[in-house]
Amino acid sequence: MANHDDHAVEALPPTPGERATGFIKRNDVARTIGLFVAYTAIFIILGKYFYPKWMPTIMSKEMKSAETIMIWFTYISAPIAGIVLSVATNSFLNAHRGDTPPPDGPAIRTNGPIVVLWTVGSLLFTIVAIVWGLLEVNSQAVAAANDAKSAITVEVTGSQWLWTFNYPAQGIETHDLNLPVGVPVIFDVKSADVNHSFWPVQLGIKVDANAQVTTVIHTTPTMVGAIEVKCAELCGLYHAYMETNGAVMSKTDFNAWVTAQGGHTA
Amino acid sequence: MSTLDKAPASARPVPNPKRSLITRLHMGTGVVVGVIFALAAYYGLHSLYTTYTDKVADPLSSHDNNIVLLGAMLSWSVGFMVGIGAFIGPWRWLIGKDLTDEEILYLAGDGQGTKRYFKYCTDHKVVGIQYLVGVMTMLGVGGTMAMMIRTNLARPGAHFVTPVVYNSLVGLHGITMIIAMIIVATGPFGNYIMPIMIGAYDMAFPRLNALSWWVLFTAIPVLCSAWFLGGIPTGWTAYAPLSTQAGPGMNSFIATIIIFAVSTAVAGMNITTTVVAMRTKGMKWNRVPIFVIGATISVALAIPAFPTFMLAMVQTGLDRTFNTGFFDANMGGSGWLYANLFWIMGHPEVYVILIPGVAALMEIAPVFVRKPLFSYNAAILGFAGIAGLSVLVWAHHMYLAGWAPSLNGPFMVTTEMISIPTGLLFLVLIGTIWRGKPWLKLPMLSVFAFIWDFLIGGITGIYLSDVPADNYLHGSMFVTAHFHFTLMGAALTGAIGGLAYWYPKMTGRMLNERAGYISFWLVQIGFNVLFFGMFMAGAEGQPRRVIDYAAFYKNSNLVSTIGAYSVGIGMIVLLWAVIHSWNKGKVAPMNPWGAKTLEWTVPYPVPLTNFDELPIITSDPYGYGKGK
Amino acid sequence: MDISTQTEVSGGKRIASAIAFLFFGVAVVGAVGFTLHKVSADPQAKMYASVNGTINYNGQNLKHAYITEGVYPDSVASKSHGPNGGSHPGWPSYGPATHLVLPAHAYVTMTLHVYDSGEHLNTNYFAKVVGTVENTATFDGVAAASILPTDVQHTFTLHGLPTQTQDPLFVNVPLPRVVADDKGNNIPTKDPGTNNQGHTVVFSFVTGGAGEYVWNCEYPCGDGTYAKFGAVMGAGGFMSGKVSVVNG
Repeated sequence: MANHDDHAVEALPPTPGERATGFIKRNDVARTIGLFVAYTAIFIILGKYFYPKWMPTIMSKEMKSAETIMIWFTYISAPIAGIVLSVATNSFLNAHRGDTPPPDGPAIRTNGPIVVLWTVGSLLFTIVAIVWGLLEVNSQAVAAANDAKSAITVEVTGSQWLWTFNYPAQGIETHDLNLPVGVPVIFDVKSADVNHSFWPVQLGIKVDANAQVTTVIHTTPTMVGAIEVKCAELCGLYHAYMETNGAVMSKTDFNAWVTAQGGHTA
Repeated sequence: MSTLDKAPASARPVPNPKRSLITRLHMGTGVVVGVIFALAAYYGLHSLYTTYTDKVADPLSSHDNNIVLLGAMLSWSVGFMVGIGAFIGPWRWLIGKDLTDEEILYLAGDGQGTKRYFKYCTDHKVVGIQYLVGVMTMLGVGGTMAMMIRTNLARPGAHFVTPVVYNSLVGLHGITMIIAMIIVATGPFGNYIMPIMIGAYDMAFPRLNALSWWVLFTAIPVLCSAWFLGGIPTGWTAYAPLSTQAGPGMNSFIATIIIFAVSTAVAGMNITTTVVAMRTKGMKWNRVPIFVIGATISVALAIPAFPTFMLAMVQTGLDRTFNTGFFDANMGGSGWLYANLFWIMGHPEVYVILIPGVAALMEIAPVFVRKPLFSYNAAILGFAGIAGLSVLVWAHHMYLAGWAPSLNGPFMVTTEMISIPTGLLFLVLIGTIWRGKPWLKLPMLSVFAFIWDFLIGGITGIYLSDVPADNYLHGSMFVTAHFHFTLMGAALTGAIGGLAYWYPKMTGRMLNERAGYISFWLVQIGFNVLFFGMFMAGAEGQPRRVIDYAAFYKNSNLVSTIGAYSVGIGMIVLLWAVIHSWNKGKVAPMNPWGAKTLEWTVPYPVPLTNFDELPIITSDPYGYGKGK
Repeated sequence: MDISTQTEVSGGKRIASAIAFLFFGVAVVGAVGFTLHKVSADPQAKMYASVNGTINYNGQNLKHAYITEGVYPDSVASKSHGPNGGSHPGWPSYGPATHLVLPAHAYVTMTLHVYDSGEHLNTNYFAKVVGTVENTATFDGVAAASILPTDVQHTFTLHGLPTQTQDPLFVNVPLPRVVADDKGNNIPTKDPGTNNQGHTVVFSFVTGGAGEYVWNCEYPCGDGTYAKFGAVMGAGGFMSGKVSVVNG
């Protein structure tokens, strides 16, 4: 991808070799290519290190997939950002100052091959993003369908400004969200009043809570640890405080917790 | 405008339409009549309400009788328009005594000096200045609210304001800025500059032009009244049923949107008609300056978009006043209906904001690098592609609403496809500056700032458009940072570039350069710091629109607040430059940038009818450069 | 707007004007901020828990703190919004203050005198007593773990942001409603100031380290609005407030 786009704009006219070599040896072109490499590298580094550093612990496949997309889309955007920023910077470094306009530049009205290459390049980029997204959406839907039988169900109710969780199979009702590790879980989400959005942060999933209808999301926690449940839809006065603790725990711990809450384990 | 005398102003007799009512009406009479209408509606509806229901609630603090406040606010707007004389023309036409030539000349503000800025003036240049001042006021108010928000979020614990005030700040900052950004380029430049650019004597419908501004003006006090009616808890999206639950302040929001939608519809029709029908001889479609194309596509997009919002607000108002239950699931309605209506407006709307800003920068770039606009056709394709796709992407705001998960795929496809026309916009700009020596004046600096800001906004937009990433990012600060990068970083930057560029034509003076540079760097660096911090907070998992956050997020929030203060100071410096240069700036030559568009061929002050004789166009205005 | 009236301004004058304007602008924004802060600052006094002795709880010696609040059907009685009930005298309210200050690492016994009537909860979970010692509260002297969701007048629900830097604290206690029939029979509490009659609910919970929390009522008492959570519920400082847990 990177190499392809590099050639797409830098190798301007698709003409015989010596013209191309001469073009690349031109000062401004050489500088632009250097800048291109630098900018592309910067964006790749940003993608590689920033998001993993910022994002919370990854505790489900969905969260992993969100992070992967953010990193990889940064990678594939990097050469495009590189082209745009290197051309802009090269031009910026050529700047003309003073109170009279600069001399006229070359009268380049358009450049057919470049426009076509650019469009095809962005089309390819778009197709990659779309196909990636569709495959991922599909695999999440397939996983949800496959896991339906083995999953535990948690009924989530958003009320202004608290979450409550009902575990019908276990017969318990709580205000914090505890889940067993490695067991698929289906959240049936609804609201007792206005719209909320159920967001167990470390699990990387989210769905709105609406009155009178149940929305469903699915995940499988993959590691043990603390999670935070937040509301991601402005819901009035204490929207900010509509957050609660939770945890993904080993099956033994989960069963012990259910028993302590007065519920029954399968 | 065919009735107007084409002779220079000095040679014309000063119009003196004695006995005519229009000479005695202005903003003041508008306010008086507006207040009378509002009070009449208030007390009338209140007594009707108490007569026909058994309730005696106070409309100013109770939720029960929203009809009283809504009626009063809308009546204020109508009353103001009556009082300023907006209906005199139609009325006179209706009774068969159309306005005389003298009266038309008077309405155009001929020979009235500063007074005409406070009148129902049909001169597009006066309307342009009115819009400019209005936009700057709104940016000031919205920016002040942004400072309040960031001050509150500077450290955890919500020590600055209470949740009621905070939620109102968030919602009113949002809607004030959205309105300001919609008109920020098309208002001042679309009205003042655009008719001159296409070689027209005035807009197609000068009275509608005045109407669009003054109707918008009446929305300002209505929106401000929200502060005195308990604020709004809903954010600018005003999602139902939270909006149904909201207190009396919500009425201000509803009335504002209804009034604003009227203004946009009128302005949109006017600008579109002007560009389609009033281009001067020889200005074929492939010779129209790109700003005009952009502004026209933008307002054409607004024409179908805003009525949807108006409709949604009327329904919200009905839900609140008559319990119609359009959006109430308990009564058989659906909150998703509201969300759909809102975003069918909301997504085209962001491009209504973006396109004129980009188009202004495309107008600027060729002038300052002395090269033709690179691939004029690609620019038009880019704008048209964005406009076309933008009406098909709205449900990406609802990926996680639970409304129609099976539509996430199709909406993801259309949303991602917007990268293609957007990519063309980048190509046009970098193609234009490639191998040029850019003249680093403030307008040109804005072009560079735009390229960086919009690139970041665009890349982060690609994550958000992908459902699996949106699963995590939706509703977080990451989204807030993303759309500020596109709307503020791109559209506002474009508008500021446009202001610096056209300021000499609009005021006759040059914008103070040093203050412009200082402001530019304070704003751009502060802006990037501000929203870098917000990207961080969002990626860390901080939701949007929260008054308080866990101590974990304190560093990213502090970074944001520091950046915000820098933006605030930079904006104050810019405001000083605008005000100071207006009176005391260096006098501008007729064509300070050496540009080739028509507005630079007319002197300042621009004559009432712009041109003594309409120019004839033989080429597009981008004939710069040597060779080829 | 006449160009010919232009006067040359010296550089020094221009800079002075810019700096003055900058200060002016910052001052305007600052004044707006100051006003908003003043207008919206918590109008109520804080309610401090009083510490009296220690108590042995789960083998630990903890400070024993006491705090008493009332829940009134109108703001005149609650006295937390000025002498005449403030801007909304008809709204129900906690009183005499809605910002509670509790000691850290303490055993807090809270007494609530409740005087309002009621109907049905939006979410039945809040009819349970949660997060108190032994998950019970005493209702007019009788210990119980929950009341009927149809018998609730308000709730006291204390919660906070999940974070590594402060201990989690969650308390929910439903408050039984006062029905007309009760008044002739055995209503144990009578408010001396207003002659309101009601129930007394007592419960205890243990605080962790210092931290900032909030409490709100989960009973839908904002009449006339969607889900009855507007008006008084959306206004803050009536049926909701802060809880500060402080050291020392």
